[in-house]
Amino acid sequence: MAKHVGYFPELKRNWWLKNRYFTLYMVREATVLPLVFFIACLLAGLYSLLQGQQSFQGWLQFMQNPITIVINLLALVASLFHAATFFTLFPRVMPLRVGGKAIPAKWIILGQWFGVLLVMVLFAWVFGRGV
Amino acid sequence: MMEKRVKRSDEPIWWALFSAGGVCFAVFVPAAILFIALLIPLGLLPAETLDFERSRGLLFSFPGLIFIGVVICLPLFHAMHRIRHGLHDLKLGRDKTNKVIAYGAAIVFSLLALLGFVLGIM
Amino acid sequence: MTTKRLSIQRYLPEQSKTPFWQEFEVPFDDSTSILEALNHIKEDMDGSLSYRWSCRMAICGSCGVMVNGEPKLGCKSFLREYPGTISIEPLAHFPVQKDLIIDMEIFLEHLAAVQPYLINDSQDSNQTHKQTPAQLAKYLTFSDCINCGLCYSACPQFGLNPEFLGPAALTLAHRYNLDSRDQGKAQRMVQLNREEGVWTCTFVGYCSEVCPKSVDPAAAVNQGKVESAKDLLINLFKR
Ligand code: SF4
Ligand code: FES
Repeated sequence: MAKHVGYFPELKRNWWLKNRYFTLYMVREATVLPLVFFIACLLAGLYSLLQGQQSFQGWLQFMQNPITIVINLLALVASLFHAATFFTLFPRVMPLRVGGKAIPAKWIILGQWFGVLLVMVLFAWVFGRGV
Repeated sequence: MMEKRVKRSDEPIWWALFSAGGVCFAVFVPAAILFIALLIPLGLLPAETLDFERSRGLLFSFPGLIFIGVVICLPLFHAMHRIRHGLHDLKLGRDKTNKVIAYGAAIVFSLLALLGFVLGIM
Repeated sequence: MTTKRLSIQRYLPEQSKTPFWQEFEVPFDDSTSILEALNHIKEDMDGSLSYRWSCRMAICGSCGVMVNGEPKLGCKSFLREYPGTISIEPLAHFPVQKDLIIDMEIFLEHLAAVQPYLINDSQDSNQTHKQTPAQLAKYLTFSDCINCGLCYSACPQFGLNPEFLGPAALTLAHRYNLDSRDQGKAQRMVQLNREEGVWTCTFVGYCSEVCPKSVDPAAAVNQGKVESAKDLLINLFKR
């Protein structure tokens, strides 16, 4: 590297607080924090299913705890925010072409949201079956 | 010097898992949270929806295995990738160590989930 | 005539080791650019102020400065866009030599590292290379870069690690990799595949936001990741 004469301030740890765009980036990255909590809930649920009926009841109670509900609500909001950012990035990383023509990004984004909806319907069907 | 400059990064592996996990986080996880962590615990769906026997039946089946893959394992790799890079962004820790811990955790917990599945179907 | 206050970060290494702020009250109208305001200061108020410029029409890429904390071309930003005092600093993430003049050495090194020119050693390389409009369209937007360096000032990953090749260099690499006349992809991939190649990027995306030429460097860098991942796969099967 060339020798640098002059003034060269180091980037501070809190750089992402100084610019709105960077703050939003950090929020995007932080969406995984409540996600980790939700995954931990699922892992605990899986464990309780192996332990037996009683353990599972305990898990259900934990899931009904208001604090658990609030964090999971946050996780839902985070997952949707993540989806909004991820879906817009996708056509830029992998521009799709059909017959030499680029598919408009708008369609790809819409298609992905349609996927989210479809999965919701699938879940409703799976859980609703035979109840 | 030259040797160091041309070293290939192993990041494509983690990035591929991160991307696959990102798709799952966006497409599958919202529905999973909505139903499993909100609607059912809040009692907005009938209690039988997720009773013990039914839950076992749903999870310890082929669709259950897919569920574990797209709602637990891949999103875990996604999350750990972002946490690792987030730590670098915040100048916390050494990246080499963070990397081992983050991806190590993703691997261990994914394997535990799969082990749980195997125990469940037996 | 209305005036506006400019607060400029000065750095005079022969006088002091640390920079300081100096304020100027400059006359302006609807058409006054930041660059013109700086020219006015240098001519009429303080001749010691140093900054770079040349074309004053967003072509040469030499007039980049931070305006209110955002990387901007001085000649393409106007005083009328900013209410209140306007702060002017040298481009972020680069060493400062004097006032608004930065040391671009590392940026130029990174550009050179990706061999941003057509590489073609085939027999007919002294012939005219033909290209269809469809082939041109593949890389056209990525070829509009004017090497202003704004994207480097917008990139926290470059700020955290100046060894990162960075948006413009990686975009240029991708631009030549996409060019049907080029055969140098294998050589460039070696650079892209490095940790400090495409893999330092975390898709912050601000580079594309500030680019005065709408090049979308973030898209190019991340398409480069896809290429680098493919390159790894191909390499595994070749063994
Ligand atoms: S990509 Fe855009 S912002 Fe970056 S150097 Fe080129 S013209 Fe400037
Ligand atoms: S003076 Fe040439 S780009 Fe601004």
